[in-house]
This record gives sequence, C-alpha cells and structure tokens, in this order.
Amino acid sequence: MSLDLNQATPEDIRERAAIDRSVRYPVLFFFTSAAAWLFVATLLGFLSGLKLRVPTLWEDCPWLGYSRLFPVHMLALVYGWAMQAGLGVMIWLMARLTRNELKNPVTVIVAGHLWNAGVAVAVITVWAGLGRSMPWLDFPVWVAPLLFIGYLMVTLWLIPMFRARRAGEVYVSEMYLIGAALWFPWIFATANLLVGDEGAATMSTGINAWYMSNLIYFWFAPVALASAYYLVPKIAGRPIHSYPLAQVGFWALAVLAGWTGFQRYVGGPFPAWIPAVSGAASIFIIVAVVAAGANFWFTLRGRQKLWEYSPTLRFTLFGVLMFLAYAVLSGVSSFFSLSQVLQFSHFVVGLDTLAVYGFFSMAAFGAIYYIVPRITGCEWPSPTLIRGHFWFSTYGIGTVVLTMLVGGFAQAGQMNQWDQAFVRSVEVANGWIVGRIVAWLLIAAANLGFFYQLALMFIGRGRRSAGPTLIHAEPGSVGSAEEAVALAGAGGHH
Amino acid sequence: MSDNPDKNLDYEAEGGSVVDVHDAVRREKVLPPTGKEPISFGPLILTALVLILGAGYLGAYSNGFRDDIYVTKYYRPDPRPAGAGGDAAAEKLAWIDQWMKDGKKVYNNCVPCHGPAGAGQPGLFPPLKDSEWVNGGTTRLGAIMLKGISGPFTVNGVGYNNIMAPWDTLGDEKVAQVLTYIRREFGTLKEGEDGIVTTEMVKAAREQFKDRTTPWDEAGLRAIPEDSMLPGAKVDPQTGQPAQ
Repeated sequence: MSLDLNQATPEDIRERAAIDRSVRYPVLFFFTSAAAWLFVATLLGFLSGLKLRVPTLWEDCPWLGYSRLFPVHMLALVYGWAMQAGLGVMIWLMARLTRNELKNPVTVIVAGHLWNAGVAVAVITVWAGLGRSMPWLDFPVWVAPLLFIGYLMVTLWLIPMFRARRAGEVYVSEMYLIGAALWFPWIFATANLLVGDEGAATMSTGINAWYMSNLIYFWFAPVALASAYYLVPKIAGRPIHSYPLAQVGFWALAVLAGWTGFQRYVGGPFPAWIPAVSGAASIFIIVAVVAAGANFWFTLRGRQKLWEYSPTLRFTLFGVLMFLAYAVLSGVSSFFSLSQVLQFSHFVVGLDTLAVYGFFSMAAFGAIYYIVPRITGCEWPSPTLIRGHFWFSTYGIGTVVLTMLVGGFAQAGQMNQWDQAFVRSVEVANGWIVGRIVAWLLIAAANLGFFYQLALMFIGRGRRSAGPTLIHAEPGSVGSAEEAVALAGAGGHH
Repeated sequence: MSDNPDKNLDYEAEGGSVVDVHDAVRREKVLPPTGKEPISFGPLILTALVLILGAGYLGAYSNGFRDDIYVTKYYRPDPRPAGAGGDAAAEKLAWIDQWMKDGKKVYNNCVPCHGPAGAGQPGLFPPLKDSEWVNGGTTRLGAIMLKGISGPFTVNGVGYNNIMAPWDTLGDEKVAQVLTYIRREFGTLKEGEDGIVTTEMVKAAREQFKDRTTPWDEAGLRAIPEDSMLPGAKVDPQTGQPAQ
C-alpha cells in the first residue's frame, strides 16, 4: 500500500478492474432483473392501493382483488426487487473486500435465473389464487425450494471467497455479508417448515411475523450496512471512525435480531413472555442501528457536504436514517399502549414499506449508483434524473409512512369501539388510502428515470467521460464529490 | 482479444496500462483500515437509555416468563357488557339502550349546572331529579330545552333566580335523546308512560315555539297545560320503529 492512503497504486487499480470484470455479468444480471421486478412491484403497489380505495373497481375479476394484488406486490418488491438487488451488491462487495475474482460467474447467473423463476412462480401462483394469507410467505410451500436453492447457489460462493481473503483484520462489511449469507437460509427454511396450513394457526401467524422482522434485521440490515460501511469511507476518503463501535453494532444485531418479531402480536394468544421478549429485543436492537449511524456520522464529521454531491452517499445515508426511523417506530409500537391500537391497522403496512423501500431500497440504490459505472465502464447519464430519483422516492416514502400512521390511528380507533360497526373503521381510513396511491405514483415517477438510466448503461450507452456524475455539478466537470465541495466552498455556492 | 467491442472498458487488455482502465475504477480511493477510536460518549448514553427502556419493557411485560400466563399486562379485557347471550346480545343492542346511551352523552352539556345525577346545586340551579317539570308533560320540558329560562323560577316549591341558555342549536335527534334520558333517568314516569321523546316530537315542539324569541319566564311556562304531551307516534323501544 502506498504512503498516501487515498491514492491507489497501479497494482491496486489493475486488481480492481480484474475483480469488477469477473463479477460484471452476474451483478448486472441481478441489478437489471431486480429493476424489472421493481417496475412490476411499483405498478402493483399503485393498483392495490387503488383497489383498496375504490373496492367496487373490477368487481368481477378475482385477479384484480386486493387480496391478490397486495401480496403479489409485496412478493415482487421483497424477493424480486430488494433481495435480488441485495444479492448483486453482496457478490460485488465480497469480491472487492476479499480481493478475489469471482471464479464461477456462470453458476451465479444460472442461480440468478433460478431465483427469478422462483419469484415468477411465487407471483403467478399467488395471483392465480393459490396463495396462503401469510405475508411475505404467501406462495405455496413447494415454491420455497426454488428460492432456497437459487439463493444458496449464489451465496455459497461468498464463503470460499471469504476464506481466501487477505491476511489481517476482518473488515466489518465482510462480517455483515457472511452473516447475511448464512442467516437467510436459516430463517427462510424455519419459516417455511413451520408456517403453513397444517399445524397450529396461532403459532404460524407468530412465526410469520418473526420471519418478516428477521428478514429485515437479519438480511436487509446486514446487506445494507455492509454496503454503507464500504462506501462511506471510500467516498469520504477517510477511515471508518471506530472499529469497536462497528463491532458493537454487528454483534448487537447478530444477538438480537432473531428474538424480534412476535411483538407484532403483543396481547395475542401466546404465553405473555414470548411477545415480551420480542418487544424487548426490538427495543434493544436500536443499539445496533445507533452504533452504525453514529459511526457514519463521526466518519463524515466535517465532510457532510459530500452528501449534496455524491448520489451514492446521499442514497446510502438516507437509507441508514430510515433504518433508524424503522427501528425506533417498531420498538415504540411494541409497547402495549400503542400496539393495542395500531397492531392490526394500516400502520403495519406503512412500517413494512418503510423497511423495504425507505431503508433497504434506498441503500441498494446508493450501492447501484456506485457499482454500475465500475462494471459497465460508463457513467450515469443525468444528474437531474438522479436528483429526481432521490426526491420523488423521499416524498413517496414520506407520504406512505405518514398517511398509514395517521390512517392507522383513525382506523384502529374505530376498530377498538366494540359497539361500532366494523365498516366504520374502513370508512374513516379510506381517505388515508389515497396516500398509498400517491406514494406509489411518486415512487414510480422516481424510478422511471432510474430504469431509463440503468437500461442505457446496460447496453453500454452511458456517458463516456472522465469524472463521476454528481448531483449538483455539470457531468464530468469535477473528479470527485470532494472536489465539488471544495469548488463550491471557493465559489460561495451552497 | 483486440476485437473486444467494449473499448472503453478495455478489460481484456490484461497487464495493459492503467490509463486504459475505466476512470471510475482508477479514481476510486483505497478503502482505509478502520479507525481505532474508542466508543464515544454520545452513543454510550443512547445505548444506556435504550437498554433501560428495553429492560423496563421486559420486566413489565414478561410476567416472570411463566408459560401459563397469557394475559399481557395492561391488556384491557373485553369491554362488552357481560350477560346472557354474549356476543349476539351485545350486537343486538335494543334501540332504547342506544338512545339512552347517546342521550347520556348529550347530557354532558347539562352536567356543569344540573350535576351528573341531576341533583342541581342548592340555591343556584334547580334539580332535575323528580322535578315537577320533568315528571310533567313533554311540551313544557321541550319548551324549556329549546328556548331557555330567565329570571325567578320555582321548582318543587323552592325558588331560583338564574339563567338557562336555550339549546335549540342541538339537532332534533340530540334534543330528543337528552329529553328521553332526563325523563327516564331522573323523572318518575306515570303509569303506562315510557318516557321516550322521539325526533318527531322535538320537531313538533320546534314548530310550536318557533315564534318565541326570548327565554321563558315562569308565568309563560305555567300557561302551558301541565300534562300536555308533544304530538308524535309512540315507538317500540326494541326497534325504534313506530309501535303497531
């Protein structure tokens, strides 16, 4: 390593290029098919909101009922888009971190097709009415092996890569990646074996909630944080502030995530200690989020202005912020005083959307904005479209979370009146559903620019010039976000 | 190798000049080794707060980790009234019970002066409980309710001198509900009378007294016959529909 920590040696650069080349096709495959699923999911999010708002719409068509549109929307969003984008990020990150070229790009692409087939079958079976009303596990149980094997075929390659890492300290991102790689098979298999038509219905519901919470804390969180721990110091050009703090964050997540989930049904027909333990874990786990957030904050201290220029940093940090919001909301809402009101209301949908879109998807966008120029050899064409992507996404996620929170209170307030007709709770919440429709429209608007740019880069028609695409800068005019900040400082802008 | 279509990437140029490598890869900084700063004060304090909160939660909700306790602390038991029939009975609340319940809500407006039990306040506000005006006909009661009273007034032989505001701003239904509540709850009903005042009856009262612009005095009220009842069909207390 050279004396100047920030400057890469020619050997480093050649190595990077070789690594990027080895993962190029699998990672691009995952990103582009994930984006396609995101398009489907966005459309379905809009349609399901519309159907919920105007239930008489398409009355004769069971395929367009809310009971099918909404689960299909969530399946496409979680498995088609979010997890698939996450898999792409994992491969690239692990190759870069351990400085290993991917030896089996073909196997990974085959596995990617298997995963996509699994998602497609899951979506089609649920859409055809063969689903089970188990959120995020709606597909018939025989679809699970497709996803399971597809997943293993991708992530198993991370283990030999990790074993062949360079000597020295294990970087915290590597810990998160190995954790995520191993935790998902465990929670996915457990949930699919225990949740089902046979067996105890009550426990199925509880385990279903456990699975959803675990997918967020045991997979989305580590993948997003691994990416953030890699990208933040890269862009800031300075080391992560504190190794001990990062360790605390990782181990807190590792120890606590598996206990969360049952608090969604606090007050339900379980021995009281089960939701109590989950609720406590969902409060304790805020420590893991605070540790990561504080570490990024201290790392960037004095360089916060980078956020204005670097798309990667902006999306990543926004994701971390939303993770904090999610963790706090989910911890606070496990108190019975809130839970007894909100637990069966629209609020829950708002919370899930916050985790999948506000937190994970935004962090994944950040990683994609960083990775794709490196593996395609061209730059993002338009800073304006990136800016639009960010702000429309922000408005969208803000709208859905706020309206679902307020609408959830309105709805649940009526549901808890025993002498009110149930339909009252539907009526009072109905106005707030508009928030969901608007939110998915905004998110669709945000992502159109993203799809367009990704497609251009996929076919090799990105911008060909030196210098990154930064948010408030003429494309190619400055070499890095840091330079842009310095220039703006000198010129008195911002 | 030279016919690589993607010239910009130049990935195939193994061992070639670094300059050929795409700019994004070249300009990228090295990932610096993680800093060894100790955990600072802010995160520690936050962590301590979270731990206290979570431990408090666990202590309050876990019920000693007993397998046989299902009821979460702070759980509100089923608020429905207990009794024969259970759910079915609760769902089919008789019309008159709902009417009285709503009437009680409207009566909250009256509580400041007449008190929750209709006892009034000695020397200031007359009682409703067993008041001659409540026990008597509904016409007088409706008249008072809609137009208010001002000046000296005698109730059950005791004199008062105060003002009652007119309540004609309440809807007909609410006036009917509260009058029913007052008569059935505080009055002594005559043989064969159910004490129910319907919306139709209140409409009739509004019509009858529509020309009056000032509150009543005692003489004016006593001019209305004591046993005069507001016109309107009797209703079935179970359904609220006109009785057969």
